[in-house]
Amino acid sequence: MNGIDRRTFLGHAGVLGASLFLADGSRSLARADRPLNFSGWVFKPDTVKDYVNLYNQKFSGQVKYEAIPWAQYHPTMETRAFAGEVVDVMYCNHNNRERWFESGLIRALDDLPGLDELKKKMTPANLDSLKSKDGTKLLGLPYFTSLFVLMYNEPMLKDAGIAAPAKSWDELVEHCQKLRRDKISDTPFLPNWNASPSGTMPQLMTDCFSEGAQVFDAKNQLIVDQEPGAARAMERWQKVYKANLVNPEVLTKTSSTDTHRLMWTGRYAYHTNHSYYLKTIAGEPENSKLAPKKAKMTMYPGTGQTYMWTDSYVVNAKTKVLDDAWKFARFLGGNLAGDWYVQRQWCLISGLDNPYPEMYDHPEIVKSYDRWIDLKLLRQQYQKGKVIAAYKEPWYGEYDTKAVPIVHDMIRGSLTVPKALKDLVKLQKSLA
Amino acid sequence: MIAASGSRSTSGYAGVLRTLGGVGGHFGRVRAPLGAPHLTDASFAAFLVLPALLGILLVVGFPLLYSFWMSLAQVNLLRTTGPALEFFGIRLPLFKFVGIDNYASVFVDPLYWSSFWRTAYFVLAFVAETTVVGLGMALVLQESFPGRPLMRSLLLIPWSLSRVVVGLLWQGLLDGEFGALNGLLYNLGMIESYIAFFKQGFSALNVLVSVYMWNQAPFATLLFLAAMQSVPEDHYMAASVDGAGYWQRLWHVTLPAIRPVVFLVLVLATVNGFLMLDLIYVMTMGGPGHDTTTISWLGFQTAFAFFKFGTGTAILYTLTALCLALTFVYHRLLLRRFEADA
Repeated sequence: MNGIDRRTFLGHAGVLGASLFLADGSRSLARADRPLNFSGWVFKPDTVKDYVNLYNQKFSGQVKYEAIPWAQYHPTMETRAFAGEVVDVMYCNHNNRERWFESGLIRALDDLPGLDELKKKMTPANLDSLKSKDGTKLLGLPYFTSLFVLMYNEPMLKDAGIAAPAKSWDELVEHCQKLRRDKISDTPFLPNWNASPSGTMPQLMTDCFSEGAQVFDAKNQLIVDQEPGAARAMERWQKVYKANLVNPEVLTKTSSTDTHRLMWTGRYAYHTNHSYYLKTIAGEPENSKLAPKKAKMTMYPGTGQTYMWTDSYVVNAKTKVLDDAWKFARFLGGNLAGDWYVQRQWCLISGLDNPYPEMYDHPEIVKSYDRWIDLKLLRQQYQKGKVIAAYKEPWYGEYDTKAVPIVHDMIRGSLTVPKALKDLVKLQKSLA
Repeated sequence: MIAASGSRSTSGYAGVLRTLGGVGGHFGRVRAPLGAPHLTDASFAAFLVLPALLGILLVVGFPLLYSFWMSLAQVNLLRTTGPALEFFGIRLPLFKFVGIDNYASVFVDPLYWSSFWRTAYFVLAFVAETTVVGLGMALVLQESFPGRPLMRSLLLIPWSLSRVVVGLLWQGLLDGEFGALNGLLYNLGMIESYIAFFKQGFSALNVLVSVYMWNQAPFATLLFLAAMQSVPEDHYMAASVDGAGYWQRLWHVTLPAIRPVVFLVLVLATVNGFLMLDLIYVMTMGGPGHDTTTISWLGFQTAFAFFKFGTGTAILYTLTALCLALTFVYHRLLLRRFEADA
């Protein structure tokens, strides 16, 4: 029997090993420009996984999705960029977009094919939101837009003999006083005064706008101390807190989500929050005592203007797979396959506001919204949505966070309204 | 070939190797090397611990040094051009050195000082509660009673829970709207209306202290219990013979005997108290106002919300300094005499 000698065995093994190594190496090279990394903060990650899978199947993509908790999301993405990792497509909130762009983490999208068509379809206010500070470049495609609305508990108002929801702030305060006096509700008013970035400060801007006040001037300087409407909004906040019309623990709620859940109990008459929260309040009987449709929205009092922002999908400036990244970004934030798939999903599943008006002509969406909101009224409120440009300033995030305790101290009465307004302006100037 | 040639010593490293060779002879014989350097026992010991030391240096020492450097620099993680350290292709930017500017800006910030005093209160209350409750529970569990093994097992549940879970759990229990505790007190007729535990800042801070104590005291109990079980029974018997009652035995026998563990519990509780962050994040976010903002929360916010990593690191290094200082004080107060006695 002819055996194999050791030298031959080692030789063959070496050739085999080298072949495997080279084969794998060449396969890796062939694959290298195809996988695409996609990261977002945690919000319905299973929904995101579903549409990522759909994209991978339908468009032969190799998208790898990773969800990161909201609180650590932006720092994590920056740390990863610091370590040299390239995440091709990412979520980015409005506060960080300009900073990421100026630091070279993300790229402008203007030179990419198909963008002009999307721009034409977008509401001008949302388009402005997504542009760079100088207004010349588009930095992201929309994930969703957020809009403050006023919601009310219809059965509670009826029990109190109140025929229609308040049309003015004075009327709203009167209703709340009556509800408390009649022992129908201990704390009838639930404003979104939580400490998170989506709480107190957007709520303050909303109420200032509804009072006809500007918050920032054209140069993005805070001017609330010169605006009587801002003082009126703050004085009202102090008044309702002092009169025990507001649950004091709303100040330590850690998110708008936590805050809106209080409305589920049916123990509050009025609630101000992002419009999409009405979907769970009025549309989820398994969670909320105010579903189906016992909670409703009404036009915001005063001027009716409320604060609106747009969060986005952005593309990494260092991506090696730009074509694929842009294609996927259009799938997410645009209309890649002609059916607005992802944009539509967010409307259907979560009621997130959308910057493309034609979305609301879709029969499926009309039918879905009809289960929890008066869509026509929502669109009217949307027309009154007001965007700012100050969040494109590098100091905005810090101002936005540090301002919260000042406003909370004002609400609780440990700061007077004029002092609080001055402190806010002083804070902004110290950071600018 | 590693054993020293010609050495007959069994106490030196060659002896160790010979012993190993003898014990584990089937691994092969240890032969003395030709011309191998002569190592002393100390050198040989150093040689053996060197890999571990290098590992510690790499995973503990280097990040410590680098983060300390960051506290002396103006850091923007997205702008990393400029001087850098390079190791095996990994580039570590050194950012712009600003000396003690970050520390200077921290020390003139009134918010830092208000957070400092709030932290001091938090740590003091937490250490006291944890030590007293931990010791009390250990004393109870030291006694014999039916169900003691079960109680000892249940004791660990709060400690084994994730702090985010603990925060959410207590947030639910204490809620002023639908909290179970409020419901219980109300149904027992002990309160006329639900209490808003988080309404006032001081109340919210004390809630944080108590919830953290609930989470951490079981570990202190475990340590105290282990220490108590190692106290010789003769000491108690002798004390009893001398007519000592329960409290006298506790004061004169138990506490002196477990003093090193008291020291350990105090150090751990102090460090944990200073660094506590997650409960604030889950339960109050530093509010209402700044009323539950501690130094760790301020440092976290500065670094991760304002992206000022240099200043944030400087804030957190002041905590490190405080921890070290207090550990030193505890050592002086508690252990020096004990070590001298020993």
